[in-house]
Amino acid sequence: MTAVKWVFSFLKKYRKRMAAGLLMTTGIAMLTIVNPYISGVIVDDVIGGGQRQLLPVMIACLIGVTLVRGLLRFSSQIMFESSSQGVLYSMRDTVYRKLLQEDFNFYNRNRTGDLMSRQTGDMEAIRHFISYVIYAVYENILLLAFALTMIFTVNVKLALCMLVVLPFTALTTFRQSKRVRPAFFRIRQQFSSLNTFVQENISGNRVVKAFAKEDFEIEKFNKENDGYRDAELNASATWKKYVPIFEFLSNILTVVLMLYGGYMVIDGEITIGNMVTVNGYLWMLTMPLRMAGWWVNDIHRFTTSAEKIYKTYSEEPDIKKPCRPVERKHFNGDVEFKDVSYRAENTDIISNISFRVKAGQTVGIIGSTGSGKSTIMNLLGRFYDTTTGSVFVDGVNVRDLDLYELRDNIGIAMQDVFLFSDTIEGNIAYGRPNCSFEEVKKAAKMADANLFIQNMPEGYDTIVGERGVGLSGGQKQRISLARALVKDPAILILDDTTSAVDMETESYIQDQLKKIEKDCTIFIIAYRISSIKDADMILVMDKGRIVECGTHDELVAAEGYYAEAFRHQYGDFKKGGEEYGQK
Amino acid sequence: MARNKYDVDEILEDKFDVNQLKRLAGYLKPHRKQMTVVLFLMLSASALGMLIPRFVMQVMDVCIPAGDKKGIWVYAGLTMAIALYTCVSLRIKIMLMTRVGQDVIHDLRYDIFYHLQELPFSYYDERPHGKIQVRVVNYVNNLSDLLSNGIINTVTDLCNLFFILFFMLSINVRLTLICLCGLPVLSVLVIFIKKRQRRAWQIQSNKQSNLNAYIAESINGIRVTQAFVREKENSGIFNRLSDGYRQAWMRAVRFNFLMGPSVDIISTVTTAFIYVLGISWMDHAGSGITIGVLVAFTAYISRFWQPINTLASFYNSLLTAISYLERIFETIDHPVLVKDKEGAKEMPPIYGKVEFKDVTFSYEDGIEILKKINFYAEKGQSVAIVGPTGAGKTTIVNLISRFYNVDSGEILIDGINIEDVTIHSLRSQMGVMMQDSFIFSGTIMDNIRYGNKTVTDEEVIEAAKTVCAHDFIMEMENGYYTEVNERGSRLSAGQRQLISFARALLADPKILILDEATSSIDTETEILLQEGLNRLLVGRTSFIIAHRLSTIKNADFIMYVDKGGIREKGSHEELLAKKGEYYHLYMSQYDFLKKPQDAKQSREG
Repeated sequence: MTAVKWVFSFLKKYRKRMAAGLLMTTGIAMLTIVNPYISGVIVDDVIGGGQRQLLPVMIACLIGVTLVRGLLRFSSQIMFESSSQGVLYSMRDTVYRKLLQEDFNFYNRNRTGDLMSRQTGDMEAIRHFISYVIYAVYENILLLAFALTMIFTVNVKLALCMLVVLPFTALTTFRQSKRVRPAFFRIRQQFSSLNTFVQENISGNRVVKAFAKEDFEIEKFNKENDGYRDAELNASATWKKYVPIFEFLSNILTVVLMLYGGYMVIDGEITIGNMVTVNGYLWMLTMPLRMAGWWVNDIHRFTTSAEKIYKTYSEEPDIKKPCRPVERKHFNGDVEFKDVSYRAENTDIISNISFRVKAGQTVGIIGSTGSGKSTIMNLLGRFYDTTTGSVFVDGVNVRDLDLYELRDNIGIAMQDVFLFSDTIEGNIAYGRPNCSFEEVKKAAKMADANLFIQNMPEGYDTIVGERGVGLSGGQKQRISLARALVKDPAILILDDTTSAVDMETESYIQDQLKKIEKDCTIFIIAYRISSIKDADMILVMDKGRIVECGTHDELVAAEGYYAEAFRHQYGDFKKGGEEYGQK
Repeated sequence: MARNKYDVDEILEDKFDVNQLKRLAGYLKPHRKQMTVVLFLMLSASALGMLIPRFVMQVMDVCIPAGDKKGIWVYAGLTMAIALYTCVSLRIKIMLMTRVGQDVIHDLRYDIFYHLQELPFSYYDERPHGKIQVRVVNYVNNLSDLLSNGIINTVTDLCNLFFILFFMLSINVRLTLICLCGLPVLSVLVIFIKKRQRRAWQIQSNKQSNLNAYIAESINGIRVTQAFVREKENSGIFNRLSDGYRQAWMRAVRFNFLMGPSVDIISTVTTAFIYVLGISWMDHAGSGITIGVLVAFTAYISRFWQPINTLASFYNSLLTAISYLERIFETIDHPVLVKDKEGAKEMPPIYGKVEFKDVTFSYEDGIEILKKINFYAEKGQSVAIVGPTGAGKTTIVNLISRFYNVDSGEILIDGINIEDVTIHSLRSQMGVMMQDSFIFSGTIMDNIRYGNKTVTDEEVIEAAKTVCAHDFIMEMENGYYTEVNERGSRLSAGQRQLISFARALLADPKILILDEATSSIDTETEILLQEGLNRLLVGRTSFIIAHRLSTIKNADFIMYVDKGGIREKGSHEELLAKKGEYYHLYMSQYDFLKKPQDAKQSREG
């Protein structure tokens, strides 16, 4: 069971604390045995026997033992709880780091709600195990062992006879374990599924409302909600069979003592005093037995959750860092694609693409929806690895570069603008958290975002909602552009970044980009000819291939896809110009 | 605009509100019968359980000295019978109480989810989504233990307590009173730590919420994080939140851990008092306390404190649960501003006339986004809305769907004020395509069918063809049955727009709203799309917001919106002839064709 081993590897750091906790628990178990003994002495000797002089000592012992036990209990619980919190803390950290490293394929496979369930509900089962189940089981095993030893010293035959419950206990434990595991698995699965559904409903709340599909969502939710309840009930239907059996077995011990013990006393094999002694220890046997069924549950709850977490995170990401990366802090921005193909899900996304860009050049990429434009950029930032062929930056294969350094030198304004629920300043400074406000403002000005930001009641301190809700499409795009510009990157990628801004703003932004002093290689993916017309090189993509390549004038002259698009977008320019006159 | 982010705690209620428990009790009401049955079973089982030690005593004190083997069998048989009864009743208890607990959780979760569906955009915009989610899923789940075991155990324990108290009183009143002296001490302790304990748990639930929000956002924004190499910083932030959660947890749990030992110590001290006083009274004749009385009494003392100990731990979990419960009820109680009027009618089938009469609107008091807007669209007309970013274009179309209520003025569809009809009947007749096209996880087929579940596969394919999505869908490995998800990079932004376009069309709306619906679609596709659309738009009133002016040129009329008002209105030709704002906007798209020096603009921001 590697998953459990994995969890325990986090516990190593808290070995001492756990050992201390267990030691204290041992103390508690011992004191638990002492207390009834003292009470016994008081009742028998002091009250019954009239030995009054013993009373002060015994009372002092009684209170002393309780105080010590209380202190031990409190500190041991803190020990276990802090160990478990420590384990959770490092586990969350490990899992989170792993999440940050995972590639896009991983995120295509795993839904947000599933991943969140690993970090919340499943972690909770692990907390419960480390902070409670471990010591509870240990303490009761101690009591059990002690009681058994005592009974053995009284009479071996009686002790062995009491052990008849043992095979039944083992059998019940075994059967419960077998049945309850799949039930817990189903609960975890259903929890994930519920979590995912709720998460999507919240994220998609605008669509739900726009289509007035609240009823439909509630109906779907009911299915998930019912499903979760059914999974829980299904599990309880399993353990309801076994937990009472343990309770029953614990009472059987008393019956055995009455019958066998009684017969033995009558037959003179043991004394009545022996029987009284055994009866005094009986509760130490029955209590653990009574709880056993619940612990079997807890343990399996723990292992299923541990496996769930472990499974999600033991997947190795496809994108691996090179063992010995080529050292390079700053890039010039030369980019070359050599016979690059990329396949995913049995579909060719990119086929045999080759092109070369010198540092400081601007490249426009245009082409139909889904023709692979964004994929090219994802290959450049090594969010995917090429299937065949290679991508070079400054003459070095991207696979040989340090991933973080590579990405650090690329600024991307993505098609899907994702903003974090943070201030606008925080969002723009996302790539360089330590940069000054002046730099943020400068980037915002370049992206023509400064004006509207300043017009907001709280300016740069305005908190934008998740995904930038509350901002218009054009505003989000400009913030995202500013975010890329703040990085002052060697390679700047604008993926459909100005589609939602008006023409005037777009041409203003383009002028600003031209003013970047540093030699910055710029890739502009766009549908509007206006966005890419001035590029040094324009690539026209169709179905994963480059079908045309050249400057604006060359492509217009070539009378291909580009010229067609140009005519459609601006065909009536002449007419417009003639009829209404130019300004 | 958002009010809360991942590292900002939500506001805490100060007072302990008993009403929350009362409300929770309301959820238990339908299960009274089952609970009564379980209560009866558990009480009878525990009463019978008390007999077992007596039987053992009987065997040792009576049967064995008398050598009565038959008597032993009788008591063994009785014990066996009780064991069986306990076993069966425990089984029934587990069955019924898990059911009750899960039902309550189920109902509570339904109520919070149902209410969430009614809450407006602004509720979702104001806080991280992870914080909403944690309430629906995790907080509700946290109540499960309290509900399925806590309540019944508590009632059983309380009954046991009175049971034992009765026995104790019947043995000796004075000794019982000494024993009860421990209770006020315990109460003082409970009251003393209650406020801090409650606070600590509230803080804990808050930290959990923060952590959850950050995890959710991290997963959703992973592409940006990786592209901007923010892994290290984010890890730092995450660990800070994670540590905050850990510390809050440790602080809160400390109070809970105090409870057990405290009860233990108080009980031992009172027991000691009973021994000391009891013995001294015993030695004075006439006190009525004999050896037998004292021995019998001490046997009950531990039984008296045992249920109190479990009650204390129940109290602990109650305080924990309340910190979750108040968050859950807070969401359920969040006022719904946009809701059906009393006696709202169904919107009759929409014909297609839309009119704005003096509409004024503001998101926040005092900042008017729209000021006295007036316009009228005839059935089947297409209306384009243009203007600078932030002018209120999206706000206008959002008002037509009544996503917000207007401050003053009215919006009429077919002459009916939209506030007089039910929201569902209104929105289900409109098709809206938003700036962000959200894709649910599931097949492409399900996504297109979202707005109208009754359509056949053929109709879905037909719609996909109309919006030019059919070809790329067929190229995917499972065609229409390809699984896609929200963050998936499987679909490009343009493809997602086409899918949500098809989704909007299948809803067969009488009024269609396209809010920058085609911004990420290439020209070629757009031409084809336009053809399909022209056919579809016949007979439907449509509102189009777009920056690509080629998209809107053919509209019946264009409204130029700026600074909360309609500045120009008319057809493309009319507006160009007017040489106003629209003319300026229209010509600006050709600026780039001119020589760079001509196009140079000065703008300072």
